[in-house]
Amino acid sequence: MNVYAPIQIALPAVALTLALGVYLVAVADRVMAGVIAGSGPELRAAMLTPLRGAALAFLQWRRATERPDAGGWALAPALLGGLAAFALALVPLGPGLVVADADTGFVAFSAAIAFVMIAVYLHGWSPNSALPLHGAYRYGAQALSFQIPFLLAMLATALPAESLSIVRIVEAQATLWNVVREPVGLPLYLVVGLGVSFWGPLNMPDATDLAGGTSAEDSGVARLLWGAARASMLVAVAAMGAAGFLGGWFGPFLPGPVWMILKTLALLGLILAAGHLLARIRIELFVLVSWAILIPLALLNVFVSGAFLL
Amino acid sequence: MIPTPLVDAAFFVFAAGAIVTGYRVFRTDSMVRAAFYLLASFSAVGGILVLLGSEFLGMVLLLMMAGEMLIMAIVMVMYMMNPAGLNPMTMVHQNRVAAVAGLAAFLALAAVGLLGDFPDRPAPQPALATEELGIELLGDSMLVFQTAGVTLLSTMIGAVAIAGRRGRSGSAEDGSIEPALQPDEEDAA
Repeated sequence: MNVYAPIQIALPAVALTLALGVYLVAVADRVMAGVIAGSGPELRAAMLTPLRGAALAFLQWRRATERPDAGGWALAPALLGGLAAFALALVPLGPGLVVADADTGFVAFSAAIAFVMIAVYLHGWSPNSALPLHGAYRYGAQALSFQIPFLLAMLATALPAESLSIVRIVEAQATLWNVVREPVGLPLYLVVGLGVSFWGPLNMPDATDLAGGTSAEDSGVARLLWGAARASMLVAVAAMGAAGFLGGWFGPFLPGPVWMILKTLALLGLILAAGHLLARIRIELFVLVSWAILIPLALLNVFVSGAFLL
Repeated sequence: MIPTPLVDAAFFVFAAGAIVTGYRVFRTDSMVRAAFYLLASFSAVGGILVLLGSEFLGMVLLLMMAGEMLIMAIVMVMYMMNPAGLNPMTMVHQNRVAAVAGLAAFLALAAVGLLGDFPDRPAPQPALATEELGIELLGDSMLVFQTAGVTLLSTMIGAVAIAGRRGRSGSAEDGSIEPALQPDEEDAA
């Protein structure tokens, strides 16, 4: 049975979560950079710099390229941000506390993840410029490689629930979390999480060796929006990871939604830390590992999860 | 889905979107744009499927088409030696044949739509529709779908084996190597 929150609640809830999430990602990323660099957390600077950067973006002029696809260029950040909002709307915060409890939530989330590659490709292709285009093709190779392991890793969480609904998937973890039941699932999912938001070791499309890759030609508000959309995707992926693998709202003592937020923050922290601690991996190696190692591993995970149900 | 005015309005938006973007596929002058318009058209059809209560199929259509259109855009650009896909080019050929075929297909489908005898019963709940689909795929039609599935899987494994790092075309790390003129030389190297 599909249950949807009324739109006057759904829109502000998703928008507020994403706005807070994006700001949190910006601050936490800076704090981590400070800690890892040894200059201390510098909390005050970390909290102000993203706001200052955002304000500055509004004052910058819009850079132009020769004969770009203006529509596609403007659409790409909106599409990525919209996909993050779509994905986040499917994640339950607590029992009954979900914007869209869809029977096919898992498939809907996967469709959103698949559309991310359209957004990134569009973003790199439409400026009609060499370095963004390189980034777009890199992401094509990267995203097509991690799609299948991702689908298989998520599919294994739907097996014990015997449902494609995210709420049922969480409810099936009342006694045993999927992270214990399927130990391979969460690491596989996190690889994809990094890939979908092209963060840290998997930031190939927007990499510094391409002078910013798909966003090399972005400036001002467009650049700000793209960054915000990426961070939103990160928040949505972390929230879904908490629901799919870390038992969602289940936990002792604290109320369900608090557990859900804590688990999301923990996954977010893990992904952000990976962004600072791990070196970017080469695209050839990533494609090889995805096809030759991650897919068989994910298949094995599905078989083992299925065998437990028999 | 219960036909409220909002659902009706959504249907007309999706239907108009599917037609307009489908038309744009052939009127645009770039392959990548054509692929994206086609994706938009399919996405609108996916939306209509969801409205019809066939959520699983609608969402799977979106999921598959996103990957498919990206691959299509990349492969088309690759074959056409047009690296950015932004250079203007004509997207149509054999106009007369295409017009006749298109019109005939449209009339045939419209005739089916207008004259066909459709069942008049409420659509099942999306979850039940998904279950029925699963029973169909793994029940009566199992042989057909499993044969297709295994064939596709072996094709995929074959493609990976050929394109892989130590695949048939040599190590990916080496880049492209000019093929030897004599087969023996290739073996010796």
